[in-house]
Amino acid sequence: MATSFPAARLTLAQMRRSAGRLASAGVAIAIGTAFVAATLLAGNVITSTTYGQVAAALADADLAVLDDNLSLTEADLDAARGVEGVAAADAQETSYTELNHGGKSVYQQIIAVASDERLMPLELSDGAWPAAKDEVALPPDVADRLGVEIGDVVTSSRWVIDDEPTTFDDGSEGYDGHDVAEKLTLTGLVDDPYAAYAGTGGAAVMSQAALAQRVTDGLEPGTERTVGAILVALDPAADPAAVDEALAAAVPAATDVTTSEAYAEKQVAQMSGGDTIFLVFVMAFAAVALVVAGLVIANTFQVLVAQRARTLALLRCVGATTGQLYRSVLLEAAVLGTLASLTGIVIGAALVQGGLMIAPTFDLGMPLPEAINLTTPVFVAPLAVGIVVTLAAALAPALAAARVAPLAALRPSDAPNLRKGAGRLRAVLATLMTLGGLALLGVGVALALEGELEIGLMATVGGGSMSLIGVIVGSVFWLPKVTAGIGRLVGTAGPSARLAAANTLRNPRRTAATSTALLIGVTLVGTMTTGAATARVAMDDELNAMYPVDVQISTAISDGEQEAAMAPAVTDAISGVAGLRGTAEVTSLYVETSDSRWPEIQTTVASPDDLRAVVNNPERFDRLQQGTLVVPEQLAKHHELEGLDEIELTGPGGKTTLDIATIDMQYGSAFMVPQDFQAIYPDLRANMIWAGVADGEDAADTFAAVQDAVSTTDEAVEVAGAVVDRNSFQQLIDVILGIVVGLLAVAVVIALIGVANTLSLSVIERNRESAMLRAIGLSKGQLRATLAIEGMLIAGVGAVLGVVLGLLYGWAGSATALAGIGQVTLVVPWAEIALILGVALLAGLVASVVPARAAVRTHPVAALAAE
Amino acid sequence: MDTTVYVPADQPAPAPGGAARAVRARSLTKTYGKGEATVRALDGVDVDFEQGRFTAIMGPSGSGKSTLMHLLAGLDSATSGQAFLGSTEITGLNDKALTRLRRDRVGFVFQQFNLLPMFTAEQNITLPVELAGGTADKAWFDTLVDTLGLAGRLTHRPGELSGGQQQRVAIARALIAQPDVVFADEPTGNLDSRSGAEVLSFLRRSVRELGRTIIMVTHDPSAAAYADRAVLIADGRIAGDISDPTPESAMAGLDALRTLEPEVTTRRSGAGA
Repeated sequence: MATSFPAARLTLAQMRRSAGRLASAGVAIAIGTAFVAATLLAGNVITSTTYGQVAAALADADLAVLDDNLSLTEADLDAARGVEGVAAADAQETSYTELNHGGKSVYQQIIAVASDERLMPLELSDGAWPAAKDEVALPPDVADRLGVEIGDVVTSSRWVIDDEPTTFDDGSEGYDGHDVAEKLTLTGLVDDPYAAYAGTGGAAVMSQAALAQRVTDGLEPGTERTVGAILVALDPAADPAAVDEALAAAVPAATDVTTSEAYAEKQVAQMSGGDTIFLVFVMAFAAVALVVAGLVIANTFQVLVAQRARTLALLRCVGATTGQLYRSVLLEAAVLGTLASLTGIVIGAALVQGGLMIAPTFDLGMPLPEAINLTTPVFVAPLAVGIVVTLAAALAPALAAARVAPLAALRPSDAPNLRKGAGRLRAVLATLMTLGGLALLGVGVALALEGELEIGLMATVGGGSMSLIGVIVGSVFWLPKVTAGIGRLVGTAGPSARLAAANTLRNPRRTAATSTALLIGVTLVGTMTTGAATARVAMDDELNAMYPVDVQISTAISDGEQEAAMAPAVTDAISGVAGLRGTAEVTSLYVETSDSRWPEIQTTVASPDDLRAVVNNPERFDRLQQGTLVVPEQLAKHHELEGLDEIELTGPGGKTTLDIATIDMQYGSAFMVPQDFQAIYPDLRANMIWAGVADGEDAADTFAAVQDAVSTTDEAVEVAGAVVDRNSFQQLIDVILGIVVGLLAVAVVIALIGVANTLSLSVIERNRESAMLRAIGLSKGQLRATLAIEGMLIAGVGAVLGVVLGLLYGWAGSATALAGIGQVTLVVPWAEIALILGVALLAGLVASVVPARAAVRTHPVAALAAE
Repeated sequence: MDTTVYVPADQPAPAPGGAARAVRARSLTKTYGKGEATVRALDGVDVDFEQGRFTAIMGPSGSGKSTLMHLLAGLDSATSGQAFLGSTEITGLNDKALTRLRRDRVGFVFQQFNLLPMFTAEQNITLPVELAGGTADKAWFDTLVDTLGLAGRLTHRPGELSGGQQQRVAIARALIAQPDVVFADEPTGNLDSRSGAEVLSFLRRSVRELGRTIIMVTHDPSAAAYADRAVLIADGRIAGDISDPTPESAMAGLDALRTLEPEVTTRRSGAGA
């Protein structure tokens, strides 16, 4: 240990001398560890918020009767209610329904009115609790969205299982179901003060009898409705322990009787699987950021060791062992890693705390904790990760430092050369990984196109990751060549550009490492952007195929077997909507056939002229005429009816035989003309209106106008169409893309710090050279320009290659992931690519500002100095 | 024939003969620090350098010879006095004008060569012209390459050249823009004596055959002997002037400066012969 004292002193002395350079490298690690710390803290916030919500849903219940097998029956509930000391007991039970009013619909969770207010997490803010079966109370925002007030009627549709079993197409027997729509009167508005249902969009309230009816209707006949928990409120005088025992005895099916707090904790523990996925997801991005930070650190240490080569050689001359020099660099890394990680933890904690402090100003609909919860992992994990990454990054430079020959101190040249070239092993490894990964990527895409979606996706992700690692490991071999090529192009622009281009090639390894750090982030951003753009187009195609028209208005109320006829008032209202290029009255129903393989066909009946006026691809319906049933290809394929020429249809009015014409379309319904239809259904009236949005009109606005027009009629109708789905799909894609790009931005920021760092170090190294250039006539502006171009070149090369790789991975990924919905058009997101490159170039420029300021301070006289 | 002429340091050292003046200094003064700590690096120097001649500025370490060169070349600003390049007064020019002046009218040869390692010899030579946004005069470039014996080395990078070859590339770089004057700062300081002699011969040939003006700062009497004239400087003042110096006369001049006490040097002149 005696030898470590001088080594430590030396390390600290060298760190002081290089403080500025180390600090900027430390920023990279600090950002990475701040990311980790913030993620862990956010995880804690989510857990405590989840607990808050779960606990809120239990209201002020004292005890919970639990059954892990979810088999508690109505009889068990009655037994619990009969226990001495129990004031009230309710089953914890929910149902769901689609609520509809004036063309707007909301999918809503429903809970029952509690038998005691202590068991009710919601508070009535206006009106009355629902009592009758056709009454409902809603959260105010849901009422707003539907445009209803207390006393108004909303339509609720739900799936009801049939009383009698059905024989399905494939010959199996089971219970089918049908949609049932009912009118419900709004009796009151309910607040959710403790955000019990904030995570699921609020809850509607119905009477216990109504809820029980709905749950039972959703079960096959003969199945008893059961729950997993009964919440109990006690009489004020009751002894909880005694009641606990009595309940366990009264409800033998119960696996546990516990306090509501313990029940909440149990639920949170079961839900934490979701939190873990969230943490793993975000941590993956933190890992990317840390890898990039590691590259920046490694680069900084390489340069520091190179700049200290003479000092190191001198130390070797006077007797320092290679081990001492090696340990000295590692000690330096450990000190840097510790300080930077601690800074990062403080920053991460401050960010999350700041977020919690400003969160209440946004209406998030759920109470968040006031302060962060600094658990041990929040502190230890980022610290450990930060130190390990810094040490790992410093290993190679430490080895280089140890390898400096004592003789180097005696050489007159500038900084002695460190390692020359990169190892052959590295080249082989990089090539194998890149090529192997790309091959695996190709196999994955091919598998997915063959229908092996899951294996294909795994192969694509695995191949993509492997080839990216190969690319990163091998970047030192090929990236300088790319830089040289681009540099030659840039170099024609003038002397500053030529100097800059030449400078980037002086330390190929350093330039490569700096560009690679940026390449990683840009590749991932590019992949996500390309994937999103491709998915967007694929969704558009899919929606166009799914919805032959922009707007479909259908009656929400079913009338026995078929949906009710469209009220004339609705037809009138829609005909008054501006922005529609046409409307068509359409009848949609299941028609029976004489073919046993295909007992009934969903059929859309419309006149060819009306249809062509509203659909998006009129040419598809060219073959629709009297005597023909037009069947979309996919539908025909599904029923294995390809090659069938004609089909006999039957109905109340008789039979008719139609020719079959298949068309290239994904719609799930066949088409026929009204003349043929009347032969089998003489009395049926149109139950849908199809409308096309006129060219040049905003689809979403027109859609809203249709909703408004319909809502004036008071008829229960649903308005659907590609517009709504497209908007929600696009929103989903945009939100996911935004989050992912936001998380990746951290890695990009770290990489840009790396660019600035590399430039600063280069400026210090080239001090004499800058002075000479100034002496022989390079202006300050030209010197600044030289560094700016160098920064933009380093950043630009990383960004360009990243975008190219991103396109490749984005295409491969979306071709695989979207293989299920058919042919995927590969999209180049030009605007986003331009933005990425623009940001990278601008950042390269900005990164050069501080180093350039230092460079122009160099006095030309410095070139004349002897040493 | 002893042509040594010692002149009083207080008076201008006019150039012999009627040649046009390439560079002039009038009462040129440079001080560092303030108050008690003031150091007069250059103390009211008056000196002229003729066009088309090879002049050496000689003096011991700390004599102010480098400071004089920095001021004359527009690399540093004077505390007082004037410096002229031809008819242009360079004292008082701003950084931008000085940069242009250095680029277009001044050449430099450094002790450390200061070639750009990533450029070839040819690219290094043409650099000043390119910085000015022009292209090198092909005939002049060929002449320089011939004169300096660099024909076979143009595609080499500095790392592949010997010290003497690097310095010859640096001389070609200094001359490529046909500057009014070339300043050479200890150009042989980093070379062995054979390469040094070679470089000095090339500098002299540049003056004799190509008609250039070169001002060389050196402390080496044998280097000064290649010049047409040696200006001696000590303690920030001109301390002597030798025409057609020989190694011996230059050495004698330097020895004289060394053996004299500073205050004596300023009063006495012509002594030491």
